[in-house]
Amino acid sequence: MTALRAVHLQRRPRVRPWQLVAVPVASIAAGLAVGAVFLTLTGHDPTMVYPAMLSAAFTTWFGFTDTLASATPLIGTGLAAAVAFRFGLYNIGAEGQLYAGAIAASGVALALGEAVPAPAAVTALLLAGVAGGMLWIAVPAAARAWLGTSEIITTLLLNYVALYWMRYLIFGSTSFWRDPTSTNFPQGKPIPASAELAELGLTRVHLGLGVAVLAAVLVTLVLNRTRLGFHLRVYGDSEAAASYAGINVRRLVLAVLLASGALAGLAGAGEIGGRAHALDPQGLALGLGYAGIIVAALARYNPLAVVLVAVLLGGVRNAGTALQSLPGGRVPIAISTMLEGAILLFTLGGELFIRYRLRFGRGQGAATAEDLESVPVASPAEPTTR
Amino acid sequence: MSGQSASGARRSGADAASSAEAPVVEARGVGKVFPGVTANAGVDLAVRRGEVHALLGENGAGKSTLASILCGLYQPDEGTVLVDGRPVTLRNPRDGLARGIGMVHQHFRLVERFTVAENIVLGDRRQPLVLSAGRVRSAMVELGERYGLSIDPDARVGDLAVGEQQRVEITKMLYRGVDVLLLDEPTAVLTPQEADALFTTLRAMAADGKAVVLISHKLGEVLAVADRVTVLRDGRVVGAVAADATDRHQLATMMVGREVDLSPRRAQSPPGVAVLDVRGVSLRPPGRPARLAGVSLQVHAGEVVGVAGVAGNGQRELAEVVAGLRAPTEGTVVVAGRGTTGRGARAARGAGLAYVPEDRLGTGLAPSLSIADNLLLTRPLGFFVDRRTATADARCVIERFDVKATGPAAAVRGLSGGNVQKVLLGRELSDSCTVLVVASPTRGLDVGAIEFVRDLLDERRRGGVGVLLLSEDLDEIRALADRILVLFEGRIVLERAGGDADLTELGLAMAGAGA
Ligand SMILES: Nc1ncnc2c1ncn2[C@@H]1O[C@H](COP(=O)(O)OP(=O)(O)O)[C@@H](O)[C@H]1O
Ligand SMILES: [Mg+2]
Repeated sequence: MTALRAVHLQRRPRVRPWQLVAVPVASIAAGLAVGAVFLTLTGHDPTMVYPAMLSAAFTTWFGFTDTLASATPLIGTGLAAAVAFRFGLYNIGAEGQLYAGAIAASGVALALGEAVPAPAAVTALLLAGVAGGMLWIAVPAAARAWLGTSEIITTLLLNYVALYWMRYLIFGSTSFWRDPTSTNFPQGKPIPASAELAELGLTRVHLGLGVAVLAAVLVTLVLNRTRLGFHLRVYGDSEAAASYAGINVRRLVLAVLLASGALAGLAGAGEIGGRAHALDPQGLALGLGYAGIIVAALARYNPLAVVLVAVLLGGVRNAGTALQSLPGGRVPIAISTMLEGAILLFTLGGELFIRYRLRFGRGQGAATAEDLESVPVASPAEPTTR
Repeated sequence: MSGQSASGARRSGADAASSAEAPVVEARGVGKVFPGVTANAGVDLAVRRGEVHALLGENGAGKSTLASILCGLYQPDEGTVLVDGRPVTLRNPRDGLARGIGMVHQHFRLVERFTVAENIVLGDRRQPLVLSAGRVRSAMVELGERYGLSIDPDARVGDLAVGEQQRVEITKMLYRGVDVLLLDEPTAVLTPQEADALFTTLRAMAADGKAVVLISHKLGEVLAVADRVTVLRDGRVVGAVAADATDRHQLATMMVGREVDLSPRRAQSPPGVAVLDVRGVSLRPPGRPARLAGVSLQVHAGEVVGVAGVAGNGQRELAEVVAGLRAPTEGTVVVAGRGTTGRGARAARGAGLAYVPEDRLGTGLAPSLSIADNLLLTRPLGFFVDRRTATADARCVIERFDVKATGPAAAVRGLSGGNVQKVLLGRELSDSCTVLVVASPTRGLDVGAIEFVRDLLDERRRGGVGVLLLSEDLDEIRALADRILVLFEGRIVLERAGGDADLTELGLAMAGAGA
């Protein structure tokens, strides 16, 4: 009780724009600080590791382009989560939709073969990815729209179905996707060169990055400028208000979830066409779909911020790989996963400080925790008077 | 109408206490400043045993702040609080309770997952380590009988209706032995029937020698239940008067600071053609009792038809069927000659209907969207939304309706109740509608805003709009309606002309007598 008396939370009267930036930045710093503790405990020197990470991820041309390549799928899955979460539709299934997009994209590319000219093949590959992602979310979306079934459960469970289906397509001896020349360890059949996404010079950056950024711009435009975006914002704020205005809520739910699946599927197609060039479980199963949720949350579901956050997180992931070959000693790749987790935890915790501030000493005005009686727990429906 | 049942007991308590006796609690020159606002300045208030003392004022006048100072939640920046004539410093609500002062806040402070009895003893340091359920129970039974506060001690607070939760709060304070009970806008969350029951309780407490401070901005209830009234405006006391030496008009003028006209308004010219025709509308959810049963009514151009009824008797359903939000099981709705039955909200709007729902924030408006966006809510939109025009339109509405807001980009949830209603009316009334459905348009608003809304609806009526006004507040209905229908259990049980409707007759019909 006495400890509570000293510090308490007070609602900020107004949230200023700089707080929206300062809080995430402070959260990331806090995440890195926690990481430093772990590094020290495991016998590494943070003052060596962090600069090395920085150069591996951002401050060298090679590192930075690699970071952009790692960020590309994260933009897609980040957008997938952002468009859905923002309106209270929790698509946890970007992971599975990404696999489905990858399966569809590689299937179409393989079926078209070498004969088709590159622009047509690439377009077909990307569209197939979109279609695959949409198909994978179609059933959860319909169940949510008509039956009100929680999309959280259905999309999550379908992730496992997609993962095992993809494995089956690679390992199955009669599978169209399997590379017949890989006799000792099964692998996906490489897609024809015409369907590969163009790369920037000698780097690993590919056309998928441009497509992903374009998608982010498009999503922003739709949300801010169009009728659909307006209706979505109304729906996201109050479903009752949407119904009152005569907005077809069912159609909105379908549209949002299908768009979310499409964006994740697009990320899958980008990975096939731009990086793996074949259906490849090792390369895909990095939790890109789940990482997209982290990206979206850090970006506060803002599509343009998703791009920036994806680059940041892509850098952390990319540095994790690079660190293993650090001359000073082997830094485990798990460090980057740990940092990702720490940053997420601090950012989600930091959200609280955007809306509230800490007050020390006795407070006035706010209902303090000093007295159980003054803690508002149950309150009647907000009266219309103010 | 509220409080009639209580007025019998009225003032007997006040006579018992001699007026020479020192006030049980008193504020002298109390001031309180919040960042940027002076909530109280030089406030004097004296509350005596045996009286119901009303603290009247518009929203933001400083009523809650003053009460919070008296109960120890806030500390005054200047001035003193006296209890039984002696200056005291109340550092927190526990100090207040120790001196016999307790407050029931607008937002209840109960633990939903606890039972009623557990909530009542919560935070009471007189309780032994092991709670004796029997003692609490018998005390509750005794208080319940004395003051008409019956509640099941074993019910979970989260399962109770708002009115019952309020009784828990009051019982809790009485159980703590308060002599002074402050209630902050207790009727804001109550139905008129529940409010009447509360007033009976308050009168019983006064008759028992307790002091009751009733915070309100409703003139009717203040006049019906209080012995004395202190009026606050902009943080200052405008005056303190005896309830039987004043009237609505004087109180409204003191409260608002200018003359307010709340007299009834009626149509000046005979009604025109029927613009809304509802025939035989029924709504029967499968396996449950009918919500509407064969309702027929017509609204003519230039006429206000009031539908009175206690909440839950089908008004909301009727409004939603007319507005196209629900399809009736049977019957037809015709808006300005066009059949709109079950064809959705857009079809009804397309035919010339506008709808102001009772739930303004959440249904009529999207709370976190801006004023500009909310004004677009029911407009037909092209593929692209034209932000610039929307912002300009919002500026017009803000100016024309004198909405207090930082600008078109302000979120509506940050506005006060009156301004929220202005935004909603600004959208629904600026369309060239022929039929207007409004539900409880002045509920929860303060006097100045009520006058504004009534004037606006009256102006629409004179402009030839047919208005369907649904409300459970007879004062609201009688102030505007040319014809009054009473809805009881989904049926129209009474129809009267607005001018000569008898209050008792309407009240009985609403309660189902003779239906
Ligand atoms: N805790 C607070 N912090 C800042 N301003 C407040 C606080 N409480 C009330 N106010 C301001 O003080 C004024 C009086 O408020 P209040 O006492 O709640 O009025 P009432 O109860 O009469 O509606 C208002 O302008 C309100 O905005
Ligand atoms: Mg108040």
